[in-house]
Amino acid sequence: MKNTLRQVFHSPKFVIGFVIFAGLLLTTIIYPLIVTTDPLEMVGNGNFFKPGTYVSVKDAVEGSRYTLNIDAKASSIGSKISAEDKEAMKEWLTKFGGVAEADIDLEDVEGLIGLWEANYSEGADQPGLTASKKKYYVRLNNNIDGILSDNDVIIARENPETGELEESASIGSKEYVNTKDVANRRTFILGTDNFGRDVLTELVDATKTSLRVGLIAGMIATLIGLFLGLISGYVGGVVDDIIMFVTNMFTVIPSFVLLILISYSVGQNARGVNLVGIIIGITSWTWTTRSVRSQVISLRNRDHVNLSKLSGHSMMRIVLTDILPYLASYVVMAFILQISSGILAEAQLSMLGLGPSSSTTATLGLMMNWATAYAAPLNGSWWAYFPVVITIALIAFSLNLMNTGLDQVFNPQLRD
Amino acid sequence: MGKVMLEVKNLKTKYVTRQREDVFAVDGVSLKIEEGKSLGVAGESGCGKSTLALSLMGYYFPPLHYISGDIIVDGNNISGLKPDDVRKKILGTEIAYIPQAAMNALNPTQKIIRFIEDVIHVHDPKATKKDIYDLAKERFAILGLPEEVLQKHAVELSGGMKQRTVIAISTILSPKVLIADEPSSALDVTSQKMVIKMMRDLMEKGFIRSMIFITHELPLLYNVTDDIMVMYAGQIVERGTAKEMVFDPLHPYTKGLMGSIIVPEEGVRENKLVAIPGTPPNLKHPPKGCRFADRCKYATPTCMAMEVPALEVPSKESDRDREYRCLMSVRKIREVYENE
Amino acid sequence: MKYLKGFKKYYGQKIIWYLITLLFAIVLNFVLPRLMPGDPVASIAAGSVSGMTDATAIQKVLNDYAEKFGVNEPMIVQFGIWAKNAIRGDFGVSFGQYPRTVADIIASSVGWTLALQLPAIIVGWILGNLLGAVAAYIKGAFDKVILPVFLFVSNFPAFGMAIILLTVFGINLKWFPTSGGYGFDLIPNASWEFVRSVISHYQLPFWSIVLITIGGQAIGMRSMAIYELNADYVKYSRFLGIKDRKIVGYVFRNAMLPQITGLAMSLGTMMGGALVAEIIFSYPGIGSTLMTAVRGQDYPLISACTLIITVMVLLANLFVELIYGVIDPRVKAAQQD
Repeated sequence: MKNTLRQVFHSPKFVIGFVIFAGLLLTTIIYPLIVTTDPLEMVGNGNFFKPGTYVSVKDAVEGSRYTLNIDAKASSIGSKISAEDKEAMKEWLTKFGGVAEADIDLEDVEGLIGLWEANYSEGADQPGLTASKKKYYVRLNNNIDGILSDNDVIIARENPETGELEESASIGSKEYVNTKDVANRRTFILGTDNFGRDVLTELVDATKTSLRVGLIAGMIATLIGLFLGLISGYVGGVVDDIIMFVTNMFTVIPSFVLLILISYSVGQNARGVNLVGIIIGITSWTWTTRSVRSQVISLRNRDHVNLSKLSGHSMMRIVLTDILPYLASYVVMAFILQISSGILAEAQLSMLGLGPSSSTTATLGLMMNWATAYAAPLNGSWWAYFPVVITIALIAFSLNLMNTGLDQVFNPQLRD
Repeated sequence: MGKVMLEVKNLKTKYVTRQREDVFAVDGVSLKIEEGKSLGVAGESGCGKSTLALSLMGYYFPPLHYISGDIIVDGNNISGLKPDDVRKKILGTEIAYIPQAAMNALNPTQKIIRFIEDVIHVHDPKATKKDIYDLAKERFAILGLPEEVLQKHAVELSGGMKQRTVIAISTILSPKVLIADEPSSALDVTSQKMVIKMMRDLMEKGFIRSMIFITHELPLLYNVTDDIMVMYAGQIVERGTAKEMVFDPLHPYTKGLMGSIIVPEEGVRENKLVAIPGTPPNLKHPPKGCRFADRCKYATPTCMAMEVPALEVPSKESDRDREYRCLMSVRKIREVYENE
Repeated sequence: MKYLKGFKKYYGQKIIWYLITLLFAIVLNFVLPRLMPGDPVASIAAGSVSGMTDATAIQKVLNDYAEKFGVNEPMIVQFGIWAKNAIRGDFGVSFGQYPRTVADIIASSVGWTLALQLPAIIVGWILGNLLGAVAAYIKGAFDKVILPVFLFVSNFPAFGMAIILLTVFGINLKWFPTSGGYGFDLIPNASWEFVRSVISHYQLPFWSIVLITIGGQAIGMRSMAIYELNADYVKYSRFLGIKDRKIVGYVFRNAMLPQITGLAMSLGTMMGGALVAEIIFSYPGIGSTLMTAVRGQDYPLISACTLIITVMVLLANLFVELIYGVIDPRVKAAQQD
């Protein structure tokens, strides 16, 4: 046993898989100890906030302000004029402003604005330009004027008695707030989802739940498969024929279909995380049954089993002491694969809307479901689904690597 | 003395393990076979006899590697040839091979005749299907194999039939030297006999002109081959006629090997059945002295320290010398054995 | 001729076995939802019409449902009615897309799914096997770089690959449209414009299924080929002077055959994954229809979708097994015993 374990941990594939999996598992355990907020708490009001640190605007305005000599104009101009606008400015300047094309450098935003300020005039003769295009340039010009002005922003409050606005403070463009002074601050490393929930915290929680689904499904599938495979292989005869007939049937009838039918039938409200795991487990045992059976058949006539039979040991004892130990490696491998396919099955069910009831839990599949239902890809909110896809792939990848590693240890001819 | 069909001079090859360690499995083997003669190679498993079989063909691919030595087939030294030339000009026509596990030697999804076509096309790309079929049919008939086999896949044949088919395919190009690696060991007694008979037929009918027969069963060799060679730890420890080797072994290892097997031959029967104690040396680091010294009850400190050369002594049975690799003289050996 | 007899028997047995399985699947399809406590089918029928406002429509759907499914009869009678209707292709009226019939909805989506999945799985299978074979033969850098990549890629769920392709090629690069089976402003017709639109909408769903399939197949093929490359017949063929290229041919043929059975075994799982991938692209196939049906609590449509998926998978499996019987002599040999 010790020797086998040492061998297993010498397989680089197994070790890589194990490290990734253990890393994910530890994260789901340790992260909630550090970040204690409710993973499903709706922090944001609205959907899909970009990843980043958010500070309370009110606190920022009211906090102590510092005047810094940072060239606020230059750093903000560049980002406030879009590439299309810059192109349009260039076009106008070369066509109607009499500026040579070579003199215009789109990278040099300040230079461009300088040329613009010097040459643009609303009333200039602009032959061939449609009215709407003309208006566009007027708007663009106004925008640029707005960017360039560094007038103070006035903050006014409504006087509750008179109902009039009264100036309470003004903020100059050179005034800054130390973010450490802002009380209400929250960092969303992976932004928020459509409900305004912190994706990272939710993802960790969902990973934990999905692993649970996978474990339950894997355990049930492995137990059923082991039980049926043992009986079928050891008893043989008619029992074997019947079990194999049914197993073969369930091999070709897509388990996906059974999953849909059962999940739908139990109803939305009854579908908890555990139940989904159970349903997945009872629809995915066929593969384990087949492989356990073929192993048992090859073991059944080994000398040590025959010896045990001749010694009059009970079937139970023979199965437990002379057969099961030899199956251990196969069963472990099957279990590992079942966990990974269980997690995948949950994700697919949830995508169809047949996952665990969604108000109380998050699973990886439900996160995907929400992200697609709220069109995250179309509005560019990659943070709502990309980390989820990667997490699913990493779980499956690590488990499959562990399985391949084990396979190579136990079936030496597969080594290359 | 007949024409020499195969001569091997001081051949050394190694194979490389998965851990990239060198195993010197054939370490300085020399041998000679004349036309019409057969040579048996015997030894415990792991003594290098299968590696020798592969090495003799002069066609190396990982994990087997050539180190040094000459292989001369019918006066033609093949050890300097390029692998592709060996493949086209030597394999099948000059030297042919019968593998250890004929059970799996045939591609399970290919018809036998298609495989024969592939084999013949290596040497004669223009041969027509009909010519090949006729040749195969004729050869199969002579060797007592049913014609239907040609149209079957390997999976449809029984074990004995597969082995005989493999032998027929290996020799279809009438090679000068046939190297058979335990061709009969995995078979039942009846099939074994058929295989042995087939090998004799091949020789008698001139389809092969000389043969090396490798096995771990010494008594089998006594019935099949003219000469016997015993291998131990990558080297030849003794060579002589079949009769000499069985009834008058010189090397303590040959003697021990004879004592450790059950031979239903007269005179041998009285020998006590004793296993040779100990295990062969590790060929990753071969010992400096006599390789058998560890297990030899007659070993002296000199045996451990110095490399033992092969000695040639006149044979009573044949005009060729017999050879053994021991520091004791023939007289000493006989004396020691008699006093036991 | 002995073969022929064996083959007939083989095919006959296979077909009968698949028919029994189909019957079993149909029974499951019917019974499973009805076995659950409170007979959700009946309560769903009541619940799903609650959203409708047109009183005559509600009554019509309920009547239709009661008649088609014989709600108040014993289960065996219900099954008889249901099966009789199902054989005629009559699955009733959709709850969610009233007044369209279920058969009509299925008929308009099954073609899209077949046209997407069949070529995608076949292309993925072929490419994957080629890559796996090359990886096994060349080894070295190719094997060391390409293989881990595919190992990782093959672990993506199909919908995950779909959403990544959608983001990269559909939204960021704008090379292909992001949703639907054809341009939303077009009406299906035989014009070039429509065909072009269909082809460009086809790309992303197609390649996401292909990529997923390639990964898994390449890995399977690689280990099969490595296993075969170490087989005794390879060594023997080499020592008979047969060219390496020819031997590689033997090896790949032999490694490919188990891959065909592997395909049959995993077809159900692959199709399941691909159906979910359809949802990402709102592709007008069975997958999207199924999701719409689930969201709309449209029981007759769900039931028909699962049935059509089962039939497709069973047919594909049967097809693979029959083909396999012809090309693998090992099956033939087994028939003679």
